[in-house]
Amino acid sequence: MTTRRYWLAGALAALSLCAAQPGAWAQESKGRVYYLVPTLLDEFQTESVTALERFLGDVGYETISLDGQNRTDLQMNQIDDVIALQPEAIVLAAVDFDAVRPGIDKAREAGIPVVIFDRQIKSTPSDFTSVAGTVEIGRIAAAEIARLLQEKKGSVSGKVLQILGDPGDSYTLDIQQGFEEDMAAHPDVQIITQPALQWEASRAGDIMSDQLLTNPDIDLVFVHAAHLAVPVTAILEARGKQPGDVMLVSSNGAPVGLDLIRRGWEQVEVEQPLYAQAAAVAMFMDKVVNKEPIEPGSYDVLGLEATLTEEAWGPNLRIPGAAITRDNVDEPRFWGNLQAPTEKVQPVE
Amino acid sequence: MSRADAAQGAPGPRLATPAGRAVLGFGLDHLVWLILIVVLAGFSLFIPNFFQIGILLNILEQSTFIGILAVGLALVVIAGHMDLSIESVLALTAMTTALLFGSHGAGSGLVLQPEWLALPVSLLLAVALGAVIGASNAFFVVRLRINAFIVTLASYIWCRGLVVALSGGRSVYGLPDAIRAVAVTHVGGVPVLGVVLILVFAAFAFVLTRTPFGRHLVMIGGNPVAPYRAGIRSDRLLAIAFILAGAIAGLAGWLLAARTAGATANLGTGMLFDAFAAVVIGGVSLKGGVGRLSGVFAGVLLLSAISTAINVMGMPPHYTLMIKGALVLAAVLLDTAKTALHKRYL
Repeated sequence: MTTRRYWLAGALAALSLCAAQPGAWAQESKGRVYYLVPTLLDEFQTESVTALERFLGDVGYETISLDGQNRTDLQMNQIDDVIALQPEAIVLAAVDFDAVRPGIDKAREAGIPVVIFDRQIKSTPSDFTSVAGTVEIGRIAAAEIARLLQEKKGSVSGKVLQILGDPGDSYTLDIQQGFEEDMAAHPDVQIITQPALQWEASRAGDIMSDQLLTNPDIDLVFVHAAHLAVPVTAILEARGKQPGDVMLVSSNGAPVGLDLIRRGWEQVEVEQPLYAQAAAVAMFMDKVVNKEPIEPGSYDVLGLEATLTEEAWGPNLRIPGAAITRDNVDEPRFWGNLQAPTEKVQPVE
Repeated sequence: MSRADAAQGAPGPRLATPAGRAVLGFGLDHLVWLILIVVLAGFSLFIPNFFQIGILLNILEQSTFIGILAVGLALVVIAGHMDLSIESVLALTAMTTALLFGSHGAGSGLVLQPEWLALPVSLLLAVALGAVIGASNAFFVVRLRINAFIVTLASYIWCRGLVVALSGGRSVYGLPDAIRAVAVTHVGGVPVLGVVLILVFAAFAFVLTRTPFGRHLVMIGGNPVAPYRAGIRSDRLLAIAFILAGAIAGLAGWLLAARTAGATANLGTGMLFDAFAAVVIGGVSLKGGVGRLSGVFAGVLLLSAISTAINVMGMPPHYTLMIKGALVLAAVLLDTAKTALHKRYL
């Protein structure tokens, strides 16, 4: 009988502990934020989940991430579901920046602030935007490519193969825009452009393989994501090329790209400042949730100088990307080295 | 006979001469090859640099993965069923190979001694993994009598989910040279990948036409009841077809990993539709019981030639999709016309 009493007391204690936990936790947390990630099929997106959960945790929010599986319809459904749960805010990296617009409006009408992350949306108001500036990434790539061609050939001339991601994705189209606008200043450079549908890596390999036959004098290949660089180098290697014979530039700064730089296959990786983009969301989250005004100006985000402007669609923070080369590839600030900053993010006063 | 009857292929006057019938019969049976030749000739005329051995070898090499997938798919379709899982099986086996043997990214960099062992071991693992998933499909379809479309759709989804879970969305690369050698070696100027493709097609074409297994598979697809009454163990044959489709998809995944020197989480996306397109263009009836692998081979080459031409011309890729869609539709219409012509003149 005594033993049974002990068991009963233990069970009651355990139950009350379990029941008390959520309450205790709820007092510590400022509430829930939902992060709607467009896909989990590449390193940038998976690491963005980790970074946002970590940085938003630093400033007191619990983050729940939902994968849109690259499907606009699914992401729209997720927005509807999340609105019903009345979170403190939604952080949205849109699968499709046009299609998602009604969802943003609906959430804001329901009093839920919407923060746009990584994939810029200009067509409707939102409460805060943190982006790398994909057009700028294209411009940085153009500058680096001009430099590489100048170094190799003595003039900015030659043949560049540009392999886009999916032509339905604004991320790749923005990079293309910035790149081609700046490369227009170099009329002696011929640019051949082909997209790898659905960002599928083996398609980039096929493009490289075909182009090497019809344009064997390609000087440089510019791919819009590092994972597309892998099959490109595999094809170059299979065709007997040595690292540097055909130069390679990529954008997004994924770990795989940094490895290729170390091995000599890739010359430049233009990174998206993933950690800074995520940290900026956390820095401004209190102001967004409390609907306080956000002042334009310059902000230091993890050591990068970011510019906040008031745009027609709301406060817009742009954080510059950076060119990674063999000289600086090991610096921990690049997200591709997967060494997330250890310092705690502080909310903006 | 009315025009409506003729259009529906009602029997009409046969061709007068045996030679005429033979020529028409051959033409109808190998229509896709004729289309391929016309398309290649057209590309060669209008696209500078297209007609060169390098481009033709590229078409062959790039056909490897969809071609091998299409072989497995054709076996199941000829037997009167569907296998939607093959694309995800390809992705899963490619990712498993990369995770085990890749030394960069999320790979574990497994090194065997001697190093060349990596080739047979990884190949066996990939094929075995594919076969296991094929066996699981077979169990649900054959034993539990669940619709193959649903079963393989479920496999398509969970296998793709497993790829993402295993990789964490990260790229894996740096496969050992022993595996990479398959993708970079040429035999008499022909890439090994192309040789493997031809061998796979030849082997399974032989199996399908010259062995009791193959002939019975065609019979099952044509009329499931008759083989059963004839004492043919339809269930066992169907199960073998699913297992073979899985194993072949495993082989395709392993080859794709070798070619791309690793794997990404979205590797192979969209290949299922290309494989289906090749099967349909190649003259395999989705109702089962009709089709030959030589036609499928031509279908694969045709799709690959179009993609290559568009790459070479620098045209927007949307045209690839539009042309492929039109080709599938044309193939179905031609199939109907072929049946009508067969009935009327042969």
